[in-house]
Amino acid sequence: MNGHLSLADRLKNRVVENPDLSFAVLLAVIVYGYFAATNDLFMTHNTTFAIMERFAVLGLVALALTLCIIAGEIDLSIGSNAALTAVIVVRFNDQLGTFTALAIGLVVSTTIGVIQGYFVAYLRVRAIVLTVGTLMLLRGVALFVAQEKTVMLTEFDVPDFIQTKMLAYFSPASFLVIAVFILVGIFMAYTKYGREIYAVGGARKEALAAGVNLKRPMIIVFSISGFCAGLGGAIIGLRSGTAQALGLQYLLLAGTVAAFIGGVSILGGKGGVIGAAIGTLTVNFLNTGLVFNVTPAYQVQLYLGILLIIVIMFQTGSRIFDARQRRKAVLAAVDERKVALLTKKRQVLAT
Amino acid sequence: MEMLAQFGRSLVPPRLAAWVDRQASPIVFALVTLFVIVLLLGAVTTDNFLTIFNLKTIIRDAALVGIMGIGLTFVTLSGNFFLLSMKETAALCIITFAMGMSHGYGFELSLLATLIVAVVAGGVQGLLIGLGGNPIVVTLGAAGMFYGIASWWSDNLVISFRRPNDAEWLGTGSFLGLPNITVAFILIAVVAEIVLRYTDFGRKVYLIGANRAAARATGHENLPMAIKVCIIASVCAGFVAVAFAAQISSAQANYFSSEFGSSGDMTILVIATVMVGGNSIMGGYGSTLRTSLGAIFISVIDNMMVLRGFNSGPRVLAVGLMIVFSIVVFSLARRGSRAQE
Repeated sequence: MNGHLSLADRLKNRVVENPDLSFAVLLAVIVYGYFAATNDLFMTHNTTFAIMERFAVLGLVALALTLCIIAGEIDLSIGSNAALTAVIVVRFNDQLGTFTALAIGLVVSTTIGVIQGYFVAYLRVRAIVLTVGTLMLLRGVALFVAQEKTVMLTEFDVPDFIQTKMLAYFSPASFLVIAVFILVGIFMAYTKYGREIYAVGGARKEALAAGVNLKRPMIIVFSISGFCAGLGGAIIGLRSGTAQALGLQYLLLAGTVAAFIGGVSILGGKGGVIGAAIGTLTVNFLNTGLVFNVTPAYQVQLYLGILLIIVIMFQTGSRIFDARQRRKAVLAAVDERKVALLTKKRQVLAT
Repeated sequence: MEMLAQFGRSLVPPRLAAWVDRQASPIVFALVTLFVIVLLLGAVTTDNFLTIFNLKTIIRDAALVGIMGIGLTFVTLSGNFFLLSMKETAALCIITFAMGMSHGYGFELSLLATLIVAVVAGGVQGLLIGLGGNPIVVTLGAAGMFYGIASWWSDNLVISFRRPNDAEWLGTGSFLGLPNITVAFILIAVVAEIVLRYTDFGRKVYLIGANRAAARATGHENLPMAIKVCIIASVCAGFVAVAFAAQISSAQANYFSSEFGSSGDMTILVIATVMVGGNSIMGGYGSTLRTSLGAIFISVIDNMMVLRGFNSGPRVLAVGLMIVFSIVVFSLARRGSRAQE
């Protein structure tokens, strides 16, 4: 259909159709460009590999949060869920073998997601409220499983395997995560259930009135979220060979920043998997670049916080601007009608 | 469950039972009854629990979390959910205070500086929330910023100031046999309750929380309210930071995330006090008295578990269960009493 358009025109259409995604790409390019220009070591094969390794974990969390926010909810328990799965997988890896441990961990984290989704829909509470409770609950369970110690692997075959370099930039872990991204992307874009999730996020009352059962999208979203959190936790745990019940608290902030850069709206119904990927890459560029510039780890939070506030201000500002424009348009329409009426009146009076 | 409800109902006088019926569904009543029975059994069978000294300990433990909870209650009641930045605000404040004290500016000046920092921190968050930013996301970002600033300013080191100093009376002194922090907790609880019940401001908090559209139609915008309630919450966090620093004469940015409380997350503990007290998270219904009781209740459970020799895992689990339990109970109760949405 667009065959006769020039490449530039087509690009322009793309940008106009997806302003949020374009903003995300722009931000990613700026951040990457800045660090590439200021640091010689940044634009190398090894750094790209390191960025992809970070992508494996943060990408999953960002994907999970993106789905939740699309559905109009936030899962605050994501860090706890990841920590619990990490503890389970690392603790049982040596006794039961990696596959069994991984299966147990993922079943647990997905089940937690299903239960949360069910309760959110059944009790009609906001997920924010419920997941504050489960945040603490799951920490307790994780402490219990880990017996309040840092659990460790004794053999390092598995950590070695999942960090093997493949095709220059990838590892088994990042391949797995990319596969998850593609699957979830197809699910969200091309299935009825995916569209249901967009519907309950963007216009919940209308969706419910149209006959969507709230339980189904909520359970799907939170089970995917639980699964992603669990897989992320398992990858972190297996890669480093250790896991702590109280660890991984930073994932929530970093994941939220990535999701918001990727173009989700807090009002729900907007955003997508590609955005989540680009948002994650942006956060990873920033993270890796800061490490290259010898920034202490505790300060990365500062930059992430500033980034989140900027993105939020940008979104809120554009929303207020939109509302103003719309009000102006309505007022102008009213004025026009008034003027028409007045001239008519004058004509009637004159005759 | 039904049988348990029947049994529970047979224990209480008929008028009370009728009142309970109006308030809640049988399931809720059964759950609450079960919980009270467990609590009473625990209290009687745990050694050294029912002593005056231990009761004082319970209230003292509840004080710091409770004060922050009271501040946060204003935010929750006004329909702005909660601030995820409570412990980070406290971290920023404790560093400010300790910096002031260790450079010899004295108690009053350091306190003033801390208050200013708290007011600015709360005001900025309130402004962003009032303009339409989601409270959770805004305060999550603000939390990262505050913690970053606090650790950057202090180089992530422990800042201690020499004893004796003129802040010690607040942290370690006592008044009529009660520690000063406990006295402060009681005073703040009373003042907050009076403000909420009997002043214009308090009624506006409830109005905006209960029905934002109606409040707007009568000329009460959320923007000034969000700024005010966020400042109240931040100042409470700042006060807690000062009291805590005065107690141990030192400060570090991660005091409120690692060494404080059993869970390692003060913010969640503070939110827990608001929720366990049964305040409506959507706003408009609840009181600071409920939050204070919630704080004391959590402290009672924690204290009982400590006396019985539980580790931190089961204790965190218990607090988490209490939060989830109260969410379930209160949302079921509300479903029984009010039409949905």
